Amino acid sequence: MAKAQKEISVSEFFAKNRHLLGFDNPRKALLTTVKEAVDNSLDACEEAGILPEIWVKIDRVAENRFRVSVQDAGPGIEPRQIPLIYGKLLYGSKFHRLRMSRGQQGIGISAAGMYGLLTTGKPLEVLSKTSVRRPITYYVVRIDSKTNTPEVLNGDGDGEKIPANDEGRALLAERALDWVDVVSGTRVTIELEAKYQRGRGSVDEYLEQTALANPHATFHYVDPDGKYVQYEASVSELPPEPIEIQPHPYGVELGKLLEMTRETNKSSMRKFLTESFCRVSPAIANAICEKAGVSNRANPKTLDRETVAKVFDAISATKIPAPSCDCVVPIGESNILAGLRKIVPGEFFVAATRPPAVYRGNPFQVEVGLAYGGGPSIQKITRESLQEMLAESDARTIRQFLVASFDGIGADGADKIIKSAKIRPRVSPPKMSPREFEALLKTLQTLNLSEGQTTSVYRYSNRVPLQFQASACAITQTIMQMNWRLYGVQQTRGQLPRGPITIMAHFASVWAPYTSESKEALAAYPEIQRELRLALQTVGRKLGLFLKRRERVKQEGSRRAVFMRYLPEIADAVAEINRGAFAERLTAERAAKRVRLELEPREGENTARARAATPEEIATAIKRSQSSGDIYMKLLAVANRKTALADVRYDDSGNKIDPNAEEKDELDGDSSVYIVSQE
Amino acid sequence: MAKSTKKATRSTTNASLFDDVNKPVVLSPQDERTLEKIYNLAANITAQAERDDEPVFAIPARSLGNVSFNEEKRVLQMGSKTTNRELFNLSQAKSFMQTTLVASGAKRLLEMGKTTSIRGLYYMLKHDIKPTKEPTFHDQGECDPVIEDCEVLLEALREELHLFADKRGDMVGNIVIVDSGDEIDCSKMGSGGYAIPSIVEPSVIQFKECRADFVLHVEKNTVWQRFNEDKFWKKHNCILTHGNGQPPRGVRRLLNRLHNELRLPIYCLLDNDPWGYYIYSVVKQGSINLAYESERMATPDAKFIGLRSRDFERCGLSEGVKISLSDVDRKRAKQIAEYPWFVHKKDWQREIDTMLKNGFKLEVEALVSRSISYMTEEYVPRLLREGDFLD
Repeated sequence: MAKAQKEISVSEFFAKNRHLLGFDNPRKALLTTVKEAVDNSLDACEEAGILPEIWVKIDRVAENRFRVSVQDAGPGIEPRQIPLIYGKLLYGSKFHRLRMSRGQQGIGISAAGMYGLLTTGKPLEVLSKTSVRRPITYYVVRIDSKTNTPEVLNGDGDGEKIPANDEGRALLAERALDWVDVVSGTRVTIELEAKYQRGRGSVDEYLEQTALANPHATFHYVDPDGKYVQYEASVSELPPEPIEIQPHPYGVELGKLLEMTRETNKSSMRKFLTESFCRVSPAIANAICEKAGVSNRANPKTLDRETVAKVFDAISATKIPAPSCDCVVPIGESNILAGLRKIVPGEFFVAATRPPAVYRGNPFQVEVGLAYGGGPSIQKITRESLQEMLAESDARTIRQFLVASFDGIGADGADKIIKSAKIRPRVSPPKMSPREFEALLKTLQTLNLSEGQTTSVYRYSNRVPLQFQASACAITQTIMQMNWRLYGVQQTRGQLPRGPITIMAHFASVWAPYTSESKEALAAYPEIQRELRLALQTVGRKLGLFLKRRERVKQEGSRRAVFMRYLPEIADAVAEINRGAFAERLTAERAAKRVRLELEPREGENTARARAATPEEIATAIKRSQSSGDIYMKLLAVANRKTALADVRYDDSGNKIDPNAEEKDELDGDSSVYIVSQE
Repeated sequence: MAKSTKKATRSTTNASLFDDVNKPVVLSPQDERTLEKIYNLAANITAQAERDDEPVFAIPARSLGNVSFNEEKRVLQMGSKTTNRELFNLSQAKSFMQTTLVASGAKRLLEMGKTTSIRGLYYMLKHDIKPTKEPTFHDQGECDPVIEDCEVLLEALREELHLFADKRGDMVGNIVIVDSGDEIDCSKMGSGGYAIPSIVEPSVIQFKECRADFVLHVEKNTVWQRFNEDKFWKKHNCILTHGNGQPPRGVRRLLNRLHNELRLPIYCLLDNDPWGYYIYSVVKQGSINLAYESERMATPDAKFIGLRSRDFERCGLSEGVKISLSDVDRKRAKQIAEYPWFVHKKDWQREIDTMLKNGFKLEVEALVSRSISYMTEEYVPRLLREGDFLD
C-alpha cells in the first residue's frame, strides 16, 4: 500500500480532470484555448500600457484538428520566462497579488498547450519579440505532465532567434511561421483536437462579447472558413491601471493567516499587520494585538496556532475600514452604451455603474447595461450563411422562406421584413436581385422584430465574457429573482424577462469568486447579489420609464390618426353650412359688426381707432368661411397641439428635440441613457 | 350594362340635387331661424379652433336623469344637464363628425325647400371617409341618435330640420283643414281617413273649419276602423284619430294643436295594460326623448276613458278575453305607478292596483265579445255622458 502512495503532479491531475479547466469537449476546448490566449494578451498589453491589438486565427488542419494562433502587440516576454509560462501549470505573475486582471492562477495557457499535446502530440509554439531591434525568439515547448516542467524542443533546448530584418522575414516564410510585423509582441500557436461551430458558446461569440467589454482593444479575427472580422477599438485610451493592493484583513481565512505569519519577514506583529494588510493603521494593529492578548512586538514567526487563531478572532472583532476601491476599474457607463450599441440593434440603451463594494474583504464593482429592442438571433446572420440558406431553400416565395427558416419570425414578422426591405413579396428566393439581397440582409440584421424573445444575458468578469453555466451564475440568478413586471416587461416568476432585451453585467474585482477553475460562473455571495440587484433595478426603472413613454407616444400617434381621418369631413361640413345666400349674409353681417381697431399716429402717440370692415375684408371672411381647406388647417393646428406628444423626437443623447415640449421626465439629459430616434 | 345605367341615374340625381341648391328658394321665417342655428353651430367650431380651444358641442342630455315633471305646466321638461361631445376625444371624434354632417345635411334640405325621411338623410350623408373604407355611418341605427342629438343641440324639432318620420296615424271627423295648400274635408275621407303627416306645423297645416266638439283618440287602427265604420264621429260630432300604438310626433303635435288652438277636449281609448297607460302618459305629459319640446307635443288635459280594470265585470265580458299579466307587465305597471304625474292621483293608483290584483289585462277589442259595436254604441257614449274618466 505504502508503495502505491505517490506524489501527483498538478499537470497529471489536470490532464485527467481537464473539464475543470474548460476542456470538457472539443468544441469548448477550442474556445478555452482562444480565450486563455486572448486574456493573457489583453492583460499583458494593459499592464505594459499598450492599447491592445490582437490577431486571432483559427486554421482547420483536418476535420477535427485546428491550429489556433493568437498574437498581440504587447510588450513581449523575456526569453527565459517563455518555457515556464507556457510549459508549466500554475506558473504566473497574477496568483499571489491582489490586482484586478483577467487571468488569476496561471493555469490557462499552459493547460491549453497540454491539451493540444495530449490530443495531437504537437507541442506549443511561441514567438516573442520585446523591442524594435531585438530578434524574435522562437520556442517550441512541451510540458512534461509527470513533473510539471517545460521541455524546449528546438535550438537544443534554448529556442531560436529570428532576426528583426529581411533575413528574418525570409526565415519566417521558409519555416511557414505566421508573424504580424509588430515592434513587440507575442504569438502563441497551439494545435489541438477541436470542433468549430458558430452560435452560442462559440469563439465568434466570445470575441464579439470581448470586444463589447473592451472598447479600447482592436481584434482581428480569421475564422476556419477564412472569413475576416475586425472589431475596431472605439476608445483610444487605456482604462486606468488597476492598483495592486494588500489583502484586507477581513478577507483572510485562518489557514491563510497562519501561512502568512510563517512566511513573513516582518519582525513584529505590529509591522506584520500594518504592512501585509491594507487599511491597518498602527492603532488598529495595536487594538488587534491587545484583543488577541499578543504583544505587538512579538515576532509573527514564533506564534503558535492557538495564538494566531486568537489574532484571527481579534481581527473580526475589530472595526477596520473597508479596503480602498481604486483597485477595481469599471468599464464605465458611456463605454458600455457604446459597446452595446455596436452589437445590439436596439432602440433604448441604458447603463449603470455601482459604487465599489466589498465582499469577504475583496473590493468589487458591478456594472449593468441594458438594451431594449432588436432580435439578436436572426440579426447575427451573416452574408454567407444567408446566401447559403437562400440557395438551399426550396420555398417558393421569399415570404415562405422567411417563415420556414427562422425561429420566432412568423407571418407577421416576414411581412414586416419584406415591407421594410422593399422586396417583392412573391419573388422566389434564388431569383432575388442583388439589390434585394442586400436589402434583405440589412433588414434582417437591423429590423426590430421584438416581442416573444427572451432576454439575452452577457456576463462578464473582469472584462472576460462568461459563456457557460449561465444558470449557476450569480448574475443570471439575480436577474431571474427580480420582478421585471414592475418595469413593464413580461416575465414568468423566477425566469428571465421576456422581450427584446439584452442585459450585460460586468463584475470587476481583484479576486473573482468563480464556481470552478474554468471561470464560467460567479458564486452568489450576498454582497455581490445585492450590488447586482441595485444596478439592475436602476436600469430596469429607466427601461420602465422609456417603455411607458414609448407607449404614450404610440397611443398619441394612433389617436391623432383617428382625428386626422375625421377632420376633412368636418371641414367639408362646416364649409357647406357656410355656403349659400343665407349663410353668406350672416357671415357678412358678422364680419361687418366685428370692430376693427386701427392704430393711428396722432401727436406722436399711437391711438387705436375703431373702424368698420371694408368690403374686401368682408369678402375675404366669406371666402374663408367657405373654404374647407382653411377650416381644415385651423382644426389641424388644434389637433397637432392636442397630440403633441406623438411628435416628440429625441436626439442622440436622449434629449427631446422639441424645445417647446412641456413634459420632461427623468430620462431627459441622463447620460447613462441612449434612445435611438425612431425617424 | 345594367350596372352602368344605375350609376348614371344616380349621378343625375346628384346633379339635380345641386341644381336645386342654386334655384332660389323662398325661406320661411321658421326655416331662417333654423338655418341660423345651424350656422351658429358651424361658426362655433371655427371660433373654438381659432381660439386654439378644442371644438366641443354641449348636447342637452336626453336621459331620465335630465328630465323633470313641471307641476305647473304639467308636462315633462328637460333639465339643464349637458353632455360634452368633444372632437379630440377618441370615443367621441366620430360622432362629433357625424353631428356636423347631419347639421350640414339639414342645411341643404332647408335651403332646397325639401324634406326627407330620416332614412333619406342617412343615405344623403353616407359615404366612405377618404382615403379609408370607413363609412360615415355604418347603418341607420347609427344615424338616428345623431339626428336626435342635433334636434336638442339646435333646439329644433325634427320637422324644422325638414326631416320626417314614418307616417302612422289617421284622422276622420268634422273638420276641414288645409294641407300644403290643399283643402281637405276630413268628413269625406271614406273608409281610409286622412293620413296624418309627420309635419303638422301651422306652416303646413291650417285649420279651416271645425264643427267637432271633441277628439277621440284610439290606440290602434283596428279600433279606429270600427268607430269609422259605425260613423261614431258623425253621431257624436267629433274627430277620430289613432296613432298605431305609441303615437308618432305628427299625431301628438296635431292633438296638441287641436286642443290648444280649437279648445277641443281630447279623450283617449287605450288598452287596459301598462303599454296603454304609457301611451296615455306620452300623449298627456310628453316623452323623455322629446322632453325639450313637451310644451308643443304634450296635451296635459287629455283624459283617459278606457279600458278600465273594472270593465271585465262591469261590462260582463267573457272569460276568454283575459290576457294574463307577465312579469314584465307587473314590473312596468309598478314603474308607471311611480311616475310623478300618477303617484299623487288616487284614482290612477287604484286603477293600476286593480289591474295588478286582477292578474290580467284587456285590449279594447275585448269589448267586441259583448257585441261587435258595443264599444261604439254603448261603452264610449255612456262614459262620455257620465263624464266617467281618469285624468
